[in-house]
Amino acid sequence: MDSAASRLWLMRGLYLFLALTVMFFHLLPLNTQPGRLPFPDFLICLTFAWVLRRPEYVPTLSIAAVMLMADLLLQRPPGLLAASVAIGSAYLRSAGPGMRDVGFVGEWTTVGVVIAAIFAFNRTVLALLSVSQASIGPVFVQVVFTVLAYPLVVAFSQTIFGVRRPSAVDVATVGTRS
Amino acid sequence: MAKDRAQRDDYTTPLRRLFMGIVVLCLLGIFLVWRIDSPRVERFRAQVVDAVVPSMEWAMIPVTAAINLVRDFQSYQRLSEQNQELRSELRRMRAWKEAALQLEQENARLLDLNNVRLDPRLTYITGVVMADSGSPFRQSVLLNVGERDGIVDGWAAMDGIGLVGRISGVGPDTARVILLTDASSAIPATIQPSGQTALITGDNTPAPAVEFLESRELVRPGDRVVTSGDGGVFPAGLLIGQIAADPGGRLRVRLSADFERLEFLRVLRYHSAAPIRDPGGIVGPQRPEALLPTEEAADG
Repeated sequence: MDSAASRLWLMRGLYLFLALTVMFFHLLPLNTQPGRLPFPDFLICLTFAWVLRRPEYVPTLSIAAVMLMADLLLQRPPGLLAASVAIGSAYLRSAGPGMRDVGFVGEWTTVGVVIAAIFAFNRTVLALLSVSQASIGPVFVQVVFTVLAYPLVVAFSQTIFGVRRPSAVDVATVGTRS
Repeated sequence: MAKDRAQRDDYTTPLRRLFMGIVVLCLLGIFLVWRIDSPRVERFRAQVVDAVVPSMEWAMIPVTAAINLVRDFQSYQRLSEQNQELRSELRRMRAWKEAALQLEQENARLLDLNNVRLDPRLTYITGVVMADSGSPFRQSVLLNVGERDGIVDGWAAMDGIGLVGRISGVGPDTARVILLTDASSAIPATIQPSGQTALITGDNTPAPAVEFLESRELVRPGDRVVTSGDGGVFPAGLLIGQIAADPGGRLRVRLSADFERLEFLRVLRYHSAAPIRDPGGIVGPQRPEALLPTEEAADG
């Protein structure tokens, strides 16, 4: 019981640490020239991969805090993308247990649809409130790259951090009330 | 086992949904506050960046150094060519240095004749570039000088040669510079030698576009672009770059500052227009306080 609880908190801390690492690499002053290809949004991929596999490792508050911090540090309108990612992850959290049987391709398409919906919602709200934003071309490229990077993030989480769906063994040890 | 979980979920799911709703409403509330009162939230953002980024600086420096090492390693192949280029450039710079020294002496003599004092307005503060903007859609850098060093919003930032950008967002220890290449940057400029004024607007490409130019025929590629000082926004006479025409025929500015290697930036102190603090007596004279009690006494 103790090892399970400490593992829980360890993995939650690991999520925060990974998020900070991703933001750290975004902030490195390597190239101040514009015109590079937009990189995929690894934070969203990481959040969704973990929510579908182990939702207890990414509580809502963690997701909201991480995405708000990312908004503030990466010069985006604060709170908007964070809210849409929170809604998206809540939807995936409820749809997660039902997605075991569809296999990885089904999961990938669902996540792709959710990511596209998030970015579309973002752009619509910003356009409605007349906030100046980037042109649609690079943003569309970024959405495509994010969806393409999702399997890489899933493979990374599963092999290196062991974030897999709970199998029968885990349920047997954790599911009892105590 | 499934039944146990279902029973527990009956209690926790509505609570969890409520909590999720509250969190989403808070985030949307933050977004609306940003939309309504942007300067306050931007100040908050500057303070958050100021608190977070310097603590990551100790880790950023070795990583940046390692990556720069790898980049330099790749250029070792061109070592002898670079050597030749650098030698010829050094010879040219020496000639310019001689000319500059002579001009400086002549300038000092002439100023002495006129008993003129130069304006101390254009002194500068030097800062080191700490971090990027982090996003491919926003071109900005973070400097390690802030309010404590006297930096104020709106000042110009140059590297050794030309204009780089404008300060927008100041924390106690850090300041953000919006680069000329960012989409929200617009600088009034003059194009020499025709003397026309134009607006240099960035559009996320390495060469910002020239807009609001009156007569395009008077401008040729290679003309110098300097700031015009219009509106008291920037000091006048700062070098921005040279005119170039892109394949579509549109005029753009090839920036003189070396945007690939931004390390040290100078922030120019510039106090142009006095900030407006009160309505200046337009609204009507203020009634003197002493009159009011006697009026009431007259009423009563």
